[in-house]
Amino acid sequence: MISQELNDMITRIGPGTQAGAVLRHYWQPAALNDEMEDGLPVAVNLMGERLALIREGELLVLATRHCPDDAPSAQYPPSHEIEIDTSGPSYPAHEIKGIAFAYMGPGAPPPFPQFDCFRAPDSHVFAFKGLWHCNWLQALEIGIDPAHASFLHRFLQDEDQEDSYGKQFRDKAAHTNMPITQLLRDYPRPDIEVEETGYGLKITALRHMENDLTHVRVTNQIFPEAICIPMSREMTITQWHVPVDDETCYWYTIFTSFQKPVNKDLMREQRLKEHRLPDYAPLKNRENNYHYDPAEQAKLTYTGMGMDINVHDQWAVEGMGAIQDRTQEHLGRSDVAIIHYRRMLRRAIADLSDGRSDALPMQGDIAGLRGPLSNDAIADSKDWKAASHAVDLERRAACPWDASV
Amino acid sequence: METNTSGQWVIVAQSHQLDRSRPLIPVTLDEKPFVLFRDEEGKLGLIGRHCPHRGADLCYGRLEDNGLRCPFHGWHFDRYGQCVEQPAEPEGSRMYTQIKVPMVPVKEENGAISAWMALEGDAR
Repeated sequence: MISQELNDMITRIGPGTQAGAVLRHYWQPAALNDEMEDGLPVAVNLMGERLALIREGELLVLATRHCPDDAPSAQYPPSHEIEIDTSGPSYPAHEIKGIAFAYMGPGAPPPFPQFDCFRAPDSHVFAFKGLWHCNWLQALEIGIDPAHASFLHRFLQDEDQEDSYGKQFRDKAAHTNMPITQLLRDYPRPDIEVEETGYGLKITALRHMENDLTHVRVTNQIFPEAICIPMSREMTITQWHVPVDDETCYWYTIFTSFQKPVNKDLMREQRLKEHRLPDYAPLKNRENNYHYDPAEQAKLTYTGMGMDINVHDQWAVEGMGAIQDRTQEHLGRSDVAIIHYRRMLRRAIADLSDGRSDALPMQGDIAGLRGPLSNDAIADSKDWKAASHAVDLERRAACPWDASV
Repeated sequence: METNTSGQWVIVAQSHQLDRSRPLIPVTLDEKPFVLFRDEEGKLGLIGRHCPHRGADLCYGRLEDNGLRCPFHGWHFDRYGQCVEQPAEPEGSRMYTQIKVPMVPVKEENGAISAWMALEGDAR
């Protein structure tokens, strides 16, 4: 449990807030390239500000737009109705890997880290987003909680992996014939190790299996509000939980493929089927009870909300309320990465209030940051660390683009 | 929980509302969210709607093992709101013994379900 005062401090992100100041020191996803296909300006609702992407000469700029006070959080007027407010702030923006990022902080924007999602060629990445009606921090926290996958995403039967392209947790666990779904179900108490790194946190979930084997799943928190996790043996997910305002956020994901180019048409089609435009709100949502079906919950899935794990996550984080009341929470051992992350965020807030912005993660020299390693492996329990590393190196070595670390 | 004798019984639902394969409905008491369910013994539980772990909505919980299980991490609660299992916590952890969801006493008479509404604070 934390105090209301602390909960406010780490969740609220509008102009002038402390957590908002931390987030503003990093590039923020502002729009998908897909949204800009019909031309600019494109409305953007980001960090509690009403904005629009425009072009000034060659430069992409995120300018302030006029917006009525009572407009919905995710309001997207068509281009011809957007009026730029030249008295408001404007920010530099930059298109990379299917996303227009903006820098809303002081001073010069930091360089983009050389993570896989930014190094892979355009053919090997695909970007998408989705709207969640909750604060960004609870959306991030579910992504650094490796235990929940054994419950929230539990399938009571294992799906045929033939139909698994572009979906999470449908592969077979590395070097075995065991579907990941079965592994998560059979081993629900992972040991979780958390290590602070130059980019955030490396989170290792160890599921100790029979015959002295251990399943090693490495995921990452990328400061301040992203995660990088494996999706399948072929792809990783780098996902930002971007505040629209205090009570609404988008997930922006770059799917990154190591070996084969991404089938973008299929990836887009799968996801557009589940979302509406222009606000990318999921079709399964609180208003329709996430299509909750008690009969399905009894037989097929843990939630009764279908096979799409994004919907499970959305239910979990939206059900907490617009801003999770952390004065009532009881964190356990499974929440060790969440506890560590909040400590980092509070340290960053303290550093900024002491005028030490260069003490924040990735604000100094980031030349050495690669990867991050993000994968599943099964290894002899004795040397799981080396085995996890070796599996990652093997995949990188076989990759047609430079994924060296 | 201490019962405040200056409180009163208030009808919060009709028994027939729970006549379905999954006997569980949301109930709002004093503007606070609760969930009313019937366990496998047929007994009623009226407990806080948000899981005390990280606040997930127990209205979508799994009615199983004679109680209500949160789909987020499998924390399991009996009809008194007592946590009886935390399957993601380490083997041997006793943390669950310290975890309780707010619980309101209920009674069922003549097809009506009533909750004991204390005047002050004890039914949070």
